[in-house]
Amino acid sequence: MTVRDAILQACQVAFTIAAAPFIQGCIVQFEERIQRGHGPGVLQPYRDLWKLFHKDIVVPETASWLFWVTPVVAFTCMMTVPILIPVLTNYPLPLSNMGDILGGGLILTLGSFMITLAGLDTGSAYGGIGSSRAAVIGILAEPTLILVFVGITLFARSMLPFVVNHLLVASPAVYLGPAHLFLVAAFFILLTVETDRLPIHSSTHIEVYMIEEARVLEYAGPLHALLKWASMMKQFILYTIFCNVLTMPWFLSTRGLAPGVLGSAAGVIVKFVIVACAIVTVDTIQARLRFYRYQEPLAVSFLLAVLAIIGTQIGLG
Amino acid sequence: MHGFHATPVEASLFGVLAIASLLLAFVMLGSRWLRHYLIAFAAESWAIALLSAAVGYIDHYPELYVIALLTLAFRGTLLPYLLLRIIRRLTIERELEPLLRPGSSLVLGAGAVVFSLVVAARMTQALHLAAEVVVLALTVMLSMKLIGYLMLAVRHEAVSHVLGLLVLENGIFLGTQILVPGMPMLLELVILFDLLIVVVCFGVLVRYLVGQVGSTSALQLRRLVG
Repeated sequence: MTVRDAILQACQVAFTIAAAPFIQGCIVQFEERIQRGHGPGVLQPYRDLWKLFHKDIVVPETASWLFWVTPVVAFTCMMTVPILIPVLTNYPLPLSNMGDILGGGLILTLGSFMITLAGLDTGSAYGGIGSSRAAVIGILAEPTLILVFVGITLFARSMLPFVVNHLLVASPAVYLGPAHLFLVAAFFILLTVETDRLPIHSSTHIEVYMIEEARVLEYAGPLHALLKWASMMKQFILYTIFCNVLTMPWFLSTRGLAPGVLGSAAGVIVKFVIVACAIVTVDTIQARLRFYRYQEPLAVSFLLAVLAIIGTQIGLG
Repeated sequence: MHGFHATPVEASLFGVLAIASLLLAFVMLGSRWLRHYLIAFAAESWAIALLSAAVGYIDHYPELYVIALLTLAFRGTLLPYLLLRIIRRLTIERELEPLLRPGSSLVLGAGAVVFSLVVAARMTQALHLAAEVVVLALTVMLSMKLIGYLMLAVRHEAVSHVLGLLVLENGIFLGTQILVPGMPMLLELVILFDLLIVVVCFGVLVRYLVGQVGSTSALQLRRLVG
């Protein structure tokens, strides 16, 4: 029993590592299709990573030890979070009691904090721009994220993602309740912020418009591959929280047997592709805003989280 | 007072529709384009019509179906159409000099909702009404009224003003649908007719303003003429 659970826990992490580039590939492919292009195919991120891992490492002269440590720390953070959340099974596996939702948020934020420091570390202009933009947006996004977590805690009376998952499956009244729906809407906006799909920068990849990507422009070779992979995993983890905890808590393995786990893995892929389609559609049809209007989506998200908390206080859970 | 015998799922349905219309009030508060205000107002009226129909179905008030249809026809279709005609005649498409930026007014609106929640909780305590739906209806009603006032205060285009008034009235109507669903239909007809008169008067006023003053912004109206 415990051996099987330990294996399953390892599978959760391995599945996150293996499937994250696939989801990124689906997003890029769908984005190309919606813009009437052909797209490189859903396996392109794997090919990119393969190529980057076979390149030499070039390090700027100005870089310090932080530059070397960051990719490893970011990748490790993203390997830690899947242990805490229901990726494949809807019951807690060994070590998943290390932290609650807030703990997971802390580790996710640690990863992006290190990347921000590394962007500043080399002293290049674009790294500085990227880090300062990411920090400003982070300052506005973090309180909202905390409010969303507080809202989840208030309606589920628990900070464990598994409890929230069980509650939403068991009670349609809570699922359809205003508090839950507003938390979903608030988290959706945060999802676009955290996965760097806020419609405030150009969709063409020019350095001046970049936000998160500008921080890692100085990296090359395997270090860059690790950072890219970490950011895909971050996206995968946020999608997991959005789908398996908040919006689609169904189709997860309940007993941990092999067919159930394989089925839930397939289910996770299907759910994520649905969310990816929604995100890409929103990203494409919305007109680009100039950068200094970044507060508006975040203000809306904040507002939705406040409304959700008010909903829980009225007791409409 | 009703909503006491609603099951949790039905209460959730009322809650979703009520808060969706509150959210659309926020869309009006946060957007910049007059046309977006109008679309949000029409959508809000449709949500309220759905709410009326839902209350009618769950609490067995057949006349609420008629009210829902009237709401759809008047608030959801005719009033937005008349306002659209006014906007088309104007040359402006948005508030050029907002007194308060949309982000700030959204946060102010969130404050208004919190205030309404406190007031609604106190009121229901004083009246010994424990039902959650009642608190929710009071909260949404009060906060939509406050948002309507806020729109009247921080916007200066004539069209925004009339939409602020209409949001205010939508809030009251939404509250009555949940709190006193047995309200006589005659009252509802009178209110709808009043609204129609308000919008038509505004159309005439806007024409006059454009002809005489050359602008529909309240910022231009500084001189008192006896």
